[in-house]
Amino acid sequence: MRATPYVLLVALGCGGQRAEGIVVTFPASAVGREAELLAAQLRRFSRLHPEITVELRRTPDAADQRHQLYVQWLNARAADPDILQLDVTWTAEFAAAGWILPLERFAADVTDFFPATVRANRWRGELFALPWFADVGMLYYRTDLVARAPATFAELVELAERGRGAGARFGFVWQGARYEGLVCVFLEHLAGFGGEILDGEGRVVVDAAPGIRALTFMRDAIHGSGVVPEAALNWQEEQTRYAFQNGEAVFLRNWPYAWPLMQDAAKSRVAGRFAVGLLPSAPGGSAGAALGGSQLAINANTEHPEAAWRVLRFLTAPEQMLERAAVLGQFPPRVSLYEHPELALPIPAGQVRALIEHATPRPVSPVWAELSEILQVGLHRALTRQAEPEDALSRAAADLRATLERAGLSAR
Amino acid sequence: VRDETRIAWLFMLPALGAVGLIALFPLGWTAWESLHVHDLRMPWRGRPFVGLANYREALGSGRFWAALGHTLFFTVTSVGIELLLGLFLAVALHRTSRARGLLRTAVLLPWAIPTVVAALLWSFMFDSHAGVVNAVLAELGAMDREAPLVWLADAGAAWVPVILADVWKTTPFVTLLLLAGLQNIDRALYEAASSDGAGALQQLWHVTLPLLKPALLVALVFRTLDAFRVFDLVFVLTRGGPGTATEPIALYTFTALLNNLRFGYGSALAMLLFLVTFVLAVLYLRILGAGVGGSPR
Repeated sequence: MRATPYVLLVALGCGGQRAEGIVVTFPASAVGREAELLAAQLRRFSRLHPEITVELRRTPDAADQRHQLYVQWLNARAADPDILQLDVTWTAEFAAAGWILPLERFAADVTDFFPATVRANRWRGELFALPWFADVGMLYYRTDLVARAPATFAELVELAERGRGAGARFGFVWQGARYEGLVCVFLEHLAGFGGEILDGEGRVVVDAAPGIRALTFMRDAIHGSGVVPEAALNWQEEQTRYAFQNGEAVFLRNWPYAWPLMQDAAKSRVAGRFAVGLLPSAPGGSAGAALGGSQLAINANTEHPEAAWRVLRFLTAPEQMLERAAVLGQFPPRVSLYEHPELALPIPAGQVRALIEHATPRPVSPVWAELSEILQVGLHRALTRQAEPEDALSRAAADLRATLERAGLSAR
Repeated sequence: VRDETRIAWLFMLPALGAVGLIALFPLGWTAWESLHVHDLRMPWRGRPFVGLANYREALGSGRFWAALGHTLFFTVTSVGIELLLGLFLAVALHRTSRARGLLRTAVLLPWAIPTVVAALLWSFMFDSHAGVVNAVLAELGAMDREAPLVWLADAGAAWVPVILADVWKTTPFVTLLLLAGLQNIDRALYEAASSDGAGALQQLWHVTLPLLKPALLVALVFRTLDAFRVFDLVFVLTRGGPGTATEPIALYTFTALLNNLRFGYGSALAMLLFLVTFVLAVLYLRILGAGVGGSPR
């Protein structure tokens, strides 16, 4: 019922031929400019494919709620909705459950996509979803306090301390509350120290030396040098953004969404006085950037796989991605677009490209949500000094192995 | 007589049916579910019957025992404080003759606030940088303004707002119950005691407390069973953190059921929680039964 306005909008575009057409349904964000842009793009699609009508369904924007809805629908083998918008960590889960279609049968061509964005959408070697837009974790820094983004963790601590000496209240702020965001922050530190959570064969290696070093560095940044405020252990994205945009912090780790908000001089005290760069690394590691973003997939029980595929291909085509970049500031996951003269992003395209090239997907696992919860608890225990990093990680690793074992996903 | 018994059962049938449908059916279903593996995040495992494996996993899990410990600690501490404070307030309210209605309303106010709202209020007050608690402590010189205590990031300190919030919110309930009990005590008993030369403390010990025992027990039962199932307060205030330092059983069960979608294991946890509260309730009812049945001298 609530989808009616969009149905009308889309139907207007396809003239009188709607009656004999195929209807595919697509639950998507239904608020603001994102919804308007999607409706406009689907009107163009209808002009190209008058036989197909795309019906937009309103769904909650909150990821958890959307996930819950999807699980209900797909677990009941519903044929509707036909197209699904997935978070980057859901593809493996839905693929392993047999809820979404492998895309090889459509001869999907992903050579133009950044490898990391494709890797997150493969399960057991098969491609199950197409990247729609990419999100990456990055380092924001104050250009009036720091000349450039630090290359190493040691340099970051030094610059943060100097910045605090120059009047900033906090050195470095990141998301330290016990939730998914903390795992992303840890993943970036871990990559910087040359470690992984699961190795190439799916074995748990988070408790190896790089993991211990990364977590020890994070803990000492709070309780040793104090460049990260202890309060960050309760902070999610928004609290860290407020700290930075109020001029209280030298460095901030956050996603791209914060950029336009903090450039708004009416609300932000640091508008025009910050830049972004890669997060630092240590010798033996390379800068990490947690990968987020949205993917498009097709319901395995759809009655119209071909029509759904046409919609996917259209929405992930360069033209539509360029438009999303210009209107919404979302990063296109296609490499070639970063050479495109029409690419208009709020952040310099070269920087965005470097960030996505460093993108580190979270482990691709159908049981990621459970693995993440185990990690969240272990990391938070170490960061609040209830356990030494080594003990916290080895306990978490044992739980991770037990969960993978239970799922029948242990590395052979 | 037999006819009457039969008719009585007949009349009770609808009520019994309703109880069965509302209370026993979900309970039976949960018990049945707890004997299966049913992981919605691992649908390829199906829903096989596994006997008591889920219970074995729970009883072998450190997190379960820690959560049980947290629940016990929370229950004993908060209910203990609430009973003492509630008794004090009830006696005080009972003695005041002026503005009684106003005072009683004022005391009841925290009880009327939804738990989630109360929890948010207390989390704001205990915010490390913007909260009033740290501001006051800094003003008093008890805390360094530049290195404030982050209450919710400290495994011990995180209990302070949790328990304070619960005490603040539910002491009025205890007060009200005890006040009703106090009003049932015959004033003549105090007059007799005082003419026998008993002081205020002796009166409290030998007259008030014995006669207040039924009311105290009712308050104890309700509060213990409530505190044992604590969920919303912790969910909003600490989410069970830091780490899992303040995680009670109900929150652990919630995580297993609704984050990890492990319906079998989560049901086993729910059954364990039910068993513990059930045993508590039976124990209390026995004591309570004795307390109410025994005629006060």
